[in-house]
Amino acid sequence: MEAPPVTVMPVTGGTINMMEYLLQGSVLDQALESLLHRLRGLCDNMEPETFTDHELVYLLKGQQGNPFILRARRSLSHPKSPWHLRYLGQPEVGDKSRHALVRNCVDVAASHSLPEFLNEMGFRMDHEFVANGHIFRKGAMKVVVSKLSRILVPGNTENTERLSLSYLVELSVSAPAGQDTVSEDMRSFAEQLKPLVHLEKIDPSKQRH
Amino acid sequence: MQQREEKQLEAATESLISRVAHVKNALHSFIYKLENEYERLTWPSVLDNFALLSGQLNTINKLLKNEKTPSFRNQVIIPLLLSPDRDEDLAKLTEQRVPVFSHEIVPDYLRTKPDPEVEEQEKQLSVESARIGPEVAQKQIQALNKLCSNLLEKLNNPRDDRDSESASMRQNKPSFNPADTNALVGAVAFGKGLSKCRPPGPVAPGHPGQGPMMGGGPTLQQVTIGGGSGQQSAMGGPGAPQQQGQPGKMPSSIKTNIKSASGSMHPYNR
Repeated sequence: MEAPPVTVMPVTGGTINMMEYLLQGSVLDQALESLLHRLRGLCDNMEPETFTDHELVYLLKGQQGNPFILRARRSLSHPKSPWHLRYLGQPEVGDKSRHALVRNCVDVAASHSLPEFLNEMGFRMDHEFVANGHIFRKGAMKVVVSKLSRILVPGNTENTERLSLSYLVELSVSAPAGQDTVSEDMRSFAEQLKPLVHLEKIDPSKQRH
Repeated sequence: MQQREEKQLEAATESLISRVAHVKNALHSFIYKLENEYERLTWPSVLDNFALLSGQLNTINKLLKNEKTPSFRNQVIIPLLLSPDRDEDLAKLTEQRVPVFSHEIVPDYLRTKPDPEVEEQEKQLSVESARIGPEVAQKQIQALNKLCSNLLEKLNNPRDDRDSESASMRQNKPSFNPADTNALVGAVAFGKGLSKCRPPGPVAPGHPGQGPMMGGGPTLQQVTIGGGSGQQSAMGGPGAPQQQGQPGKMPSSIKTNIKSASGSMHPYNR
């Protein structure tokens, strides 16, 4: 029996099919403080949480053109925490009027042998980067303000160089498929962050060229 | 049926009370800041306070619009007992703002109709509008619409013949750079500028599928040898749930890759 192609296989198996709703934007360094201040006021009252993560992106090349992508992430500030493995599907093309980017999302935790495991499975690491910044939460919505850095020597997370002079701002919600009120809520939250940062739906495939 | 409505009413009132309490606290701290710290107050932090209040008002609006909220307009509040004596419980509940539930406070707190002055004005306005006739009214409406759209246009399209200083002030303000946004999104989505085999620099690599995988050829061969044993260990190992379907598929795709690797897929193919 021929195995179906890797990239088209739907993700099944006992869990609810979760979708990630995403809006992205960026903010320059000089405006970072005002943005953090505003987010601290708008979001749920908790201790400001910072994070430093190292993300590796693994590709598996199938027979077809599109490789299968998995993202492995580990925390550099909490080295004992498990790794986090994530699969993100293609953005759903559907309703053009939907305000956020919607894509299938599968998140699992993994042990520290994850990189070797993926290598044995046939995945090859395509690129890696270090992200550090702040995370805020408002109800189900999560706002991540992060600074991305390029890793100069593969595997060495101390020696990094910033990608740009801006911080990436992402507003995301993880919800089961079919809930369109989520994107409305995200849009009204994004309105409150203007004009500091414009959060919008950026189609990654359009960025390629 | 009625019990359900009562429960809904109660729940809605509870959440409304808590939201209004948030607004009250925010206002309280804002007023305090304005009165006591006005020398050190900066415009961005004032804006933040306003943004906070606007967010809270938004939540209240959403709560009221929620279909589970019964219509508060249908409820009537009737005072059952008015007394000129000081009520300690009430004073504590309202933080000493309403110490006595007496005849004086009823017109202020339990009012449902507009104030008498406002009612007078409204009556005058409706008399006036009845007087001028429909055609004149229509012309006035059109004039108002035209004024509003002109104003909106002016606000939305900054014109070049504005003062140079306001234009330069505007240039200092942008707090985000769209080019940076695109660069960052590209980096996160597919590694634009991050591919480890490129010299560090904002060179956009091509399609990541063609991105050079150093050792992509030789290591694929190594994987088939380990692929058999790797499969058994993958089944027992801490495999993620969605990958349990995949070990079954791995052997076939790896073998296929091996065939094509020796043929057309050269790792340094660029």
